[in-house]
Amino acid sequence: MAKPIVQRKYTLSERIYLVEIIKGLGLTWKHFIFNFKASLKPGPHTVPTCWQYPWDRREIAPIFRGEHMLSLDDKGREKCIACGMCARICPAQCITVKKGKVKEGEEEKYAGKFYPVSFEIDLLRCIFCGFCEETCPKNAIVLGQGYELAQYESKECVLTKDKLIENYRSALESGNLKPPRKKVPVAGAKEKKPAKSKVQKKTEAQEA
Amino acid sequence: MGPVKQRIANEDYVTINVGPSHPAMHGTLRAIAYVSGETVLGTDLEIGYLHRGVEKLGENLTYHQFIPITDRLNYCSAIANNVSYEMAVEKLMGLEVPEKAQLIRIIMTELSRIADHIVLVGILGVDLGAFTPFFYLFIQREEIYEIFEWYNGARLTNTFGRIGGVEAPLPEDFEERWSKLKKGLDKAIGETDKLLTHNRIWMDRTIGVTPISADDALNWGFTGPCLRACGVKRDLRKDEPYSLYHQFDFEIPTGKHGDVFDRYMVRMIEMRESVKIIDQAFAMYKELGPDEPLMAKVPKIIRPPEGEVYHAIESPNGELGFYIKSDGTDKPYRIKIRPPCYMIFQAFDELIQGEMISDLIACLSSLNIIAGELDR
Amino acid sequence: MNDWTIAIIKVVFIWSWTLLIATIMTWVERRGSALIQDRLGPNIAGPFGLFQPLADGIKLFTKEEFAPKHAHKILFTLGPVLFAVQAFSAYAVIPFGDKIVINAKEIVLQVADVNIGFLFVLAVGSLAVYGFVVGGWGSNNKYSLLGGLRATAQLLSYEVPLGLAMLAVCMTYSSFSLREISLDQAGTFLGFLPNWGFFKQPLGFLVFLVAAFAEANRVPFDLPEAESELVAGYHTEYGGMRLGLYLFGEYVNLYTLSALMVTIYFGAWHLPYIDMSAYLSPFAYGIASFVVFFLKCAFFLWLFVWVRWTIPRFRFDQLMGLGWKSLIPLGLLNLFVTAFFIQISL
Repeated sequence: MAKPIVQRKYTLSERIYLVEIIKGLGLTWKHFIFNFKASLKPGPHTVPTCWQYPWDRREIAPIFRGEHMLSLDDKGREKCIACGMCARICPAQCITVKKGKVKEGEEEKYAGKFYPVSFEIDLLRCIFCGFCEETCPKNAIVLGQGYELAQYESKECVLTKDKLIENYRSALESGNLKPPRKKVPVAGAKEKKPAKSKVQKKTEAQEA
Repeated sequence: MGPVKQRIANEDYVTINVGPSHPAMHGTLRAIAYVSGETVLGTDLEIGYLHRGVEKLGENLTYHQFIPITDRLNYCSAIANNVSYEMAVEKLMGLEVPEKAQLIRIIMTELSRIADHIVLVGILGVDLGAFTPFFYLFIQREEIYEIFEWYNGARLTNTFGRIGGVEAPLPEDFEERWSKLKKGLDKAIGETDKLLTHNRIWMDRTIGVTPISADDALNWGFTGPCLRACGVKRDLRKDEPYSLYHQFDFEIPTGKHGDVFDRYMVRMIEMRESVKIIDQAFAMYKELGPDEPLMAKVPKIIRPPEGEVYHAIESPNGELGFYIKSDGTDKPYRIKIRPPCYMIFQAFDELIQGEMISDLIACLSSLNIIAGELDR
Repeated sequence: MNDWTIAIIKVVFIWSWTLLIATIMTWVERRGSALIQDRLGPNIAGPFGLFQPLADGIKLFTKEEFAPKHAHKILFTLGPVLFAVQAFSAYAVIPFGDKIVINAKEIVLQVADVNIGFLFVLAVGSLAVYGFVVGGWGSNNKYSLLGGLRATAQLLSYEVPLGLAMLAVCMTYSSFSLREISLDQAGTFLGFLPNWGFFKQPLGFLVFLVAAFAEANRVPFDLPEAESELVAGYHTEYGGMRLGLYLFGEYVNLYTLSALMVTIYFGAWHLPYIDMSAYLSPFAYGIASFVVFFLKCAFFLWLFVWVRWTIPRFRFDQLMGLGWKSLIPLGLLNLFVTAFFIQISL
């Protein structure tokens, strides 16, 4: 395979290395002076492009896909009905749900008829894709803004239900809750009539 | 004895291992260089250190679940992979994606093209000793990541788009973010140009280093900027227009000799062309109302009809193609990915014969070999 | 105080002063490079990160002194030692100020006023090659060997332009002793230009500057330790204080070269048109000359850092081509032109 021979004629200012080098030096000098003056200001965030973590944190978008949480409704009941949709759709298969039926005395704790006896998310497998949040019919599992997920032992990286609810409570306190996802308009979708309940259908049948 | 060793059996050489973990950061590849003095006589290449069985995973996941896996192929420009895969499945199912969704896809793909080219130019500078343009460019890449974060929630591995469309409209502050980013990009690319392009040290290091003729490049299967640097004007966005690219006005830069300098210049000019495309696409986007559909009508469980399809898009690295064979169930029978840098990396041994060790590093940098895509 | 005590005090002072400058240079390098690259450098260890060199020094001292399994036991340690010894001793003949008067005794601010001053500097400077080669060979590592070989060829070839430029300066000031060259740079010539070497030898200064970059192994000539190509060149296998000796030796070399540049081209301790000894007491004059000399050196040290983060590095054959095909002819041309001007007694 013959390699092409490349030749290029250099202009005079390119041949003497110095002209371009001095131009480059001028450019870096401008950056240096700007940053030097900025670094003398007080406060952690002095140079505009440098965030001094952990004293200075960048603003995270409210829709950031970080650490998971199981939400409660406004009466304080757990929303999750242990349907298992999130575990089904997870590409990394990191969610394990065990279903249990709500007993008679425990209605203030759970919103639905079923509740998760155990709900575990293995953070070491999760790829933070957000499919579980998207597919949950009750908006129970939500991906929050936590990104500081490092632990010393791998056991602590498996989030249990208590930890997930605790995440929700701390997000509620700090006001970082994500608004629920808006449904995306679909092409060719007809206007859906509101669904009729059983009582309504019975009265219509009786009237007819 | 492998072919390389047979070829150089009569020469006096030393084996140098540019090993899987080396400071020239290109992912995990191994190049065993046979060197005589400073001249490289041949290289044995070893890949597969980042093989994760992506294609096999695809056989056990549904079409929707495979989208986050495609993110991790070319992780510098994750959105291009997502879009390519989704378009392949839509072609198989015969879906028509609404216009607003296509515009969003184009805007995001071009942004990730800019991000990928920034990585290449920055890392090429670092490998050749110019450390500062890397920082100036990567600050702009952070701004691009912020746009992705405010659109989707994730910065690097955004699971962008769904089969049939996209999952959200552009955020409300996109316009001001984009105008700020445009100014920043212009300044950063201009500064990199000033520091590098006419600097004789840079030109000596990159002009005439590992050139390749257009015929040889086509024979090896080159696509993308590496092929355009040889003078072949081939770009899937103009030659086989997909999506709405036929409506936009942009140029295809080509080089002449296919050496490191041409590959670098082609990418610098392509970044500016992408900015133009995003401007035009966003102007079209603003004219569409907020109620325009963003998804085509897809069933809850996607079961494409039996058949096979191949669809490729112009990803920042070249022609990224997906071949999907479906047997009527909800999981694909076989997904095959055509990674652009696999074909380009084949030519590395021929390119590097007779050059020096420093050129080996420069060439490896300029080919934009991303191990995630190479090994899948 | 007799002469021996003064000499020992001067030696100790110079040794600790250069070491201090080397440690401060690590801070300047990290902070300067960061501010050029739109980020902050070390700023946690002390105000503006000024204690960072101390932290680095403690780290290097307390790290485990290991050697690779098949490294040559003696040569592995000898390399950095040779390099550091050479770096420190080259400064012995370079003046760092004019006279100072303490207790009515005149002390010349130079450790040894040898009358073949600059030959000594060149000779000791070329011992740096031993440091690289011995270290590279003793590491039993192909990368280090390559780095050591590159360093040898580079340092040896760039000593020729260095010597040629210095030779032209010696012809201009008709002396080999560095102290006499600095004393000769007082006053003006041609009416308005100071008598500095820079104005008499602009081409020589350029040649010397480029050769100094190459002698100090700094970008654009830092191939022996090119980070992305050869992991870390000749100091790949080193850790702990042996690495510390290499790194400090490099900065001390840098300081020596900038001091040399200031001495022969920028008037050592002279201010352009002002004669300080007329205004200050002899003691204050000594201190002032030291300070002026140091400030000029500081500018050149900053220049080394500034250039490092701006331009890419050369490829090895281009580096050798620049040295042999461009700098040596320029140096010879400079020599002939200087000789011509001296002959017509300008």
